[in-house]
Amino acid sequence: MNGMIPGGWSFVVAAYSVTAIVLIIYGASVIARLRQETARRNHD
Amino acid sequence: MLTAALRKELLLQWRSRAQFMAVFVFGAAALLLFSFAVGPVAEMLRQFSAGFLWLGLLLSSTLTLAESFHTEMENRAMEGLLLLPANPRALYYGKAIANWLQLILLGIALIPVMVVLYDAGTTRVPMLILVIALGTAGLSAPGTLYAAMTAQVRSKQTLLPLLLFPLIVPALLASVKATSLIILGDPMNQMRSWIVLLASFDAIYWSLCGLLFGNVVEE
Amino acid sequence: MYDDNNRFPRLPWIILGLGVLFLAIGSYIGLFVAPPEALMGQVQRIMYVHVPTAWNALLALTFAFVCAVIFLFKSDWKWDARMEASIEVGVVLGFLLCCQGSIWAKPTWGVWWDWDPRLTTTAVLVFAFLGILALRKFVEDPARRAMWSAVATIIASVDVPIVYYSVRWWNSLHQLQSSPSTVSRQFWLPLRMNAFGILFLMTAFIMLRARVASMRLKYELVPPPALGETI
Repeated sequence: MNGMIPGGWSFVVAAYSVTAIVLIIYGASVIARLRQETARRNHD
Repeated sequence: MLTAALRKELLLQWRSRAQFMAVFVFGAAALLLFSFAVGPVAEMLRQFSAGFLWLGLLLSSTLTLAESFHTEMENRAMEGLLLLPANPRALYYGKAIANWLQLILLGIALIPVMVVLYDAGTTRVPMLILVIALGTAGLSAPGTLYAAMTAQVRSKQTLLPLLLFPLIVPALLASVKATSLIILGDPMNQMRSWIVLLASFDAIYWSLCGLLFGNVVEE
Repeated sequence: MYDDNNRFPRLPWIILGLGVLFLAIGSYIGLFVAPPEALMGQVQRIMYVHVPTAWNALLALTFAFVCAVIFLFKSDWKWDARMEASIEVGVVLGFLLCCQGSIWAKPTWGVWWDWDPRLTTTAVLVFAFLGILALRKFVEDPARRAMWSAVATIIASVDVPIVYYSVRWWNSLHQLQSSPSTVSRQFWLPLRMNAFGILFLMTAFIMLRARVASMRLKYELVPPPALGETI
């Protein structure tokens, strides 16, 4: 490996965005399921 | 107790030997299809022959393994067997060994198919049989455990490979590598490491799955 | 009868908030404050999220293994719920790890996958544990589901080191050069902050997801009476 890798920013942005997106979507799905279960429990 | 279980399994398998023929045809067909993926380039086919053989064996094993609990499921014989004062462990090892033997036979039966289709001949046949024995042992131990689980579940055909395939990656890698060394030559003497890896994998899983089988079939 | 442990109902939310905070700050530092690395340039910054994700994915799946073993001995539903949660979180983090690794590999090696043993093992792991989640979906009886997935989790976890060593050996025969150390000279601050950030997020996710699992379980074990019926 010699020298710098040019134009790496797009990959860096991609990696950070993927991380944020995956964590946000998963977090949202957990919270949504939690709301659903709580509503079901309170309903009965 | 183990010998009784084993004898029963072998008898069952002998009675359904037509099934073995069908699985063999499936395996041979798979090997044929793989060659279509690569093209009629003799040198390349020979290069990948070990991989094709083991992929074919792996795919065929799902049929064999799924079938091995078929009789139990059909007649609800599983509960009957477990009510006997027999150790579930004996049931597991009986089935696992029977499956293993069937897979070894399948592997040996596929050798000539491999030799012909991929020009992958070798003189080191005893070594090849050893590798087939060790590799199929790695498939049979967890495969029998998962077959017992998935036999009792809907969508069993998809679940068994889904659970088994990631698990046996080390056995697959080692078996393919070792077989490849036999067919293509082993200038750097790597065979021993792969055999050791296979043997360790087998030792670990034959003991672990036997230990855990009781948990899988208890009510 | 099982009761979901809501001794500290607010706790997961606090941890979640802390996680977001740490991850945001750590990422900001990693992106804009830390200097680019000598050899790899800007691409190095990916490590500030990749390494923390790796640590936590492994942690989640290790915790899943621990839950499985405890469940085998104690048969307490709590541990089944926690196991389900940590498997799911571990799979998500593992999948994320593969994405990050792929994005890192392209500019570094020119290919989307470089068969690095750690990443390849992660990919195999993701499939293995995804299979266990699938198994859970198909087994209706809760007791059987819990027992079987605990067994499968133990079997898969034992496989992890074996897969790693076999892939490493398999790979070393083909790779002409060794992979550069992924933890080469870097600013430790963004790494540590992100590590804690993702750790807190992971913990919060597992706690909340375990809550979902145990509420569902409660529903399964004691379904409410149908309308018009009396107990």
